Amino acid sequence: MVSVPNVERAAASSSPSSVRSRVKKRLGPDIDGYGFLLPATIVMISLVVYPFCLAIWFSVSDAFVGEPASYVGLENFIYILTEDDIFIETIWNTLLFAFWSVLFKVVLGLSCALLLQRILKLKRFFRGSVLLPFVAPTALSTLGWWLILDPTYSHINWILENMWPFSVMGFGPYNFLGEPTLAMASVIFVNIWRGIPFFIITILAGLMSIPEHLYDAAEIDGASTWRKFRSITLPLLRPVLAIIILFSTIFTLGEFNIIYVLTRGGPMNSTHLFSTYSFTYGILNHEIALGAAVALFLFPILVLIVVFLLRMVRRDTSHEL
Amino acid sequence: MYKEFDLIEGSKTNAKSSRRKFLRNSARATGGLAGIMASGVAPAVAQPRELKMLTWAHFVPSSDEELKVQFEEFGKAAGVKVRMDRVAHLQLPALLAGEVRGQKGHDLVVASNSMPHLYSRHLENLNDLYDKIGARAGGWTSPLFGKGRDGKAQKSLPWYFISFPLAVRTDLISGIGENLPDTWDDVYRIGSKLKKRGYPLGIQLSHASDSSNILSGLLWSFGGKMVEADGKTVAINSKATVAAFKFAKTLYNDAMDEEVLAWDDRSNNVCLVSGKCSMILNPISAYRAAVRSKALIPGSDRQIHQTITHILPPEGPAGRHMSASFAGIGVWKFAKQKELAKEFLDFHFTRDSVDKHLRSSGGFNQPVLKNFAMNPLYASNSKYYFAQYIGWYTHAIGYPGIPTAAAQMVSDQFLLPDAMAACATGKHSPEEAAAKLEKQVKRIYRRFNKKA
Repeated sequence: MVSVPNVERAAASSSPSSVRSRVKKRLGPDIDGYGFLLPATIVMISLVVYPFCLAIWFSVSDAFVGEPASYVGLENFIYILTEDDIFIETIWNTLLFAFWSVLFKVVLGLSCALLLQRILKLKRFFRGSVLLPFVAPTALSTLGWWLILDPTYSHINWILENMWPFSVMGFGPYNFLGEPTLAMASVIFVNIWRGIPFFIITILAGLMSIPEHLYDAAEIDGASTWRKFRSITLPLLRPVLAIIILFSTIFTLGEFNIIYVLTRGGPMNSTHLFSTYSFTYGILNHEIALGAAVALFLFPILVLIVVFLLRMVRRDTSHEL
Repeated sequence: MYKEFDLIEGSKTNAKSSRRKFLRNSARATGGLAGIMASGVAPAVAQPRELKMLTWAHFVPSSDEELKVQFEEFGKAAGVKVRMDRVAHLQLPALLAGEVRGQKGHDLVVASNSMPHLYSRHLENLNDLYDKIGARAGGWTSPLFGKGRDGKAQKSLPWYFISFPLAVRTDLISGIGENLPDTWDDVYRIGSKLKKRGYPLGIQLSHASDSSNILSGLLWSFGGKMVEADGKTVAINSKATVAAFKFAKTLYNDAMDEEVLAWDDRSNNVCLVSGKCSMILNPISAYRAAVRSKALIPGSDRQIHQTITHILPPEGPAGRHMSASFAGIGVWKFAKQKELAKEFLDFHFTRDSVDKHLRSSGGFNQPVLKNFAMNPLYASNSKYYFAQYIGWYTHAIGYPGIPTAAAQMVSDQFLLPDAMAACATGKHSPEEAAAKLEKQVKRIYRRFNKKA
């Protein structure tokens, strides 16, 4: 319907001298659409594509601050994989950190969302409150956690030592940020605290979109609460869950603030993640090439996760259709 | 337009010749403007000379104020415009890298620790100035700092250093009938006694820059070293290192609390000022914080700063050594006002200027020139007596070699604190920790030496 006048116009201005008509011919009738896309494309290229390509170049070069860079192939990746024991530790730390963080965020986020769905009194207050950790700037809220977990004057230790009934139970004091396992548990805990509102709110939105009549039908059929959850809630939430797991995995694998404020990768490198180790190499050590190699090591893993989760979403939504 | 011109000139004949003049001058002016606009540079006669300095924002702001006063005073005397930019120390590496990449920026730049080595190619050789200033002030206390990649060229002038004396609670030490500690053995003996009374010794074994400095001092005091004097040959796996690690393990077990494994640079200050720690190795900031806060000794009405004093860092079997952060100042090779920059440095390193700079910092900016180290500010307060002598025992990272980029890398990756922590907590034996550390340090030096 729209194309008829366009075709007429194109036929009328088919003179070889008209550049516009030639471009139109090549790009199709809706040439203005490309014009509208241009600003966004420029922003994407300059702020995403260019830095990403630059990072790839750095990772295969011997870039060092103040020195001319030359191509070295995969030397940096071979170096960090074969010679750098801290990097090997960093890989395990990152996978451990991401796995437990995302797992707890899913389980707790889903539980809290189901609870919030059932709360009718002070609904807005509770729904607003859960967003607080997400709204506060990460560095600032992590500083709060740093005081709570402080090695010398931890609030938790003080409570365990001085407040009944904890004082008589003989718990603590715990070296939250000084003992490798506890330090990892602490940073995972803070990450969960920080990330869980995103899960709760998104899952809650997913829950609201499930038609009520499905539950009514199940009720009539005599389905138990667990059966309703397993057969209605969970399958219909799958696309939402897949998307938030995807986002959360990406953000958790790239976590920097929490680690840098709380432990700076310590004790004994037990909480170094790709981002903090990349920062150490690239910014503190001026080894831009190694910093980029460490940071990009994550890239294939992320691509695999994205492909897997998006396939899952597509399968779910096509099944729905 | 030229009618108005006629009126101004006042006569017709004049107007004719003026029109010609006007057209000629207009053409010249247009051509000139086009040239200026195309090149983006004003003609030399129109450009005021400007001397620019980039420095880190000092944690004692009055130090920067005094520096600015001196800079402006110099500018006035030299008849040039001056501009001093201050940035947070964490932003400094990125800014310096940017200036190097663009080959333009400031004339004078702060070039601390390993930066003279890192930016060796881009920093002006200051040997003449270094010798001249050194000669008139009795020489430099840390001759290794500021050298370029060849180990000879002076790429940055040692400006000041922030030392790590031993800050001790005199009341606690006298309370157990001991004198102030002089050696690491004294520190162990007194520290273990005081820990039993609930006052541990506080030395970070963690990812904190203070930890790298203090533990380097401990290592050197036992005769250990990361590298040989050539700054390239890794020498960490030695009997002396193992002895230092063994000592650190005993010190940790008997005189410290496990919380030091998680400490940052601030934690030991808090520990001392709150009355928990008996001794810490730290710049005078902890003491000054105690003075400012008027903190009391827990359970008493006595201010804690009255009981704190500073003494020289402990002596080990191989002597008294400590590491510190060294500030330096250099001139870019691509600076527009190289000679002026050097003249300023000459002026800034006179006794009067150094003295004012030191006083304005409240004693933090410790001089690196021998004759200026004996400053009345330090002599007037018994808590600062150490400051006059500590320069002789203080070295930059990489000692006994020059501070190199590789040494900085070892320091920034906290390899030594991690090795000592692993040893202290029993994760590794001292021998294993030394062997692992050697592997890690060799990896960094191998890569760096290959690049160099």
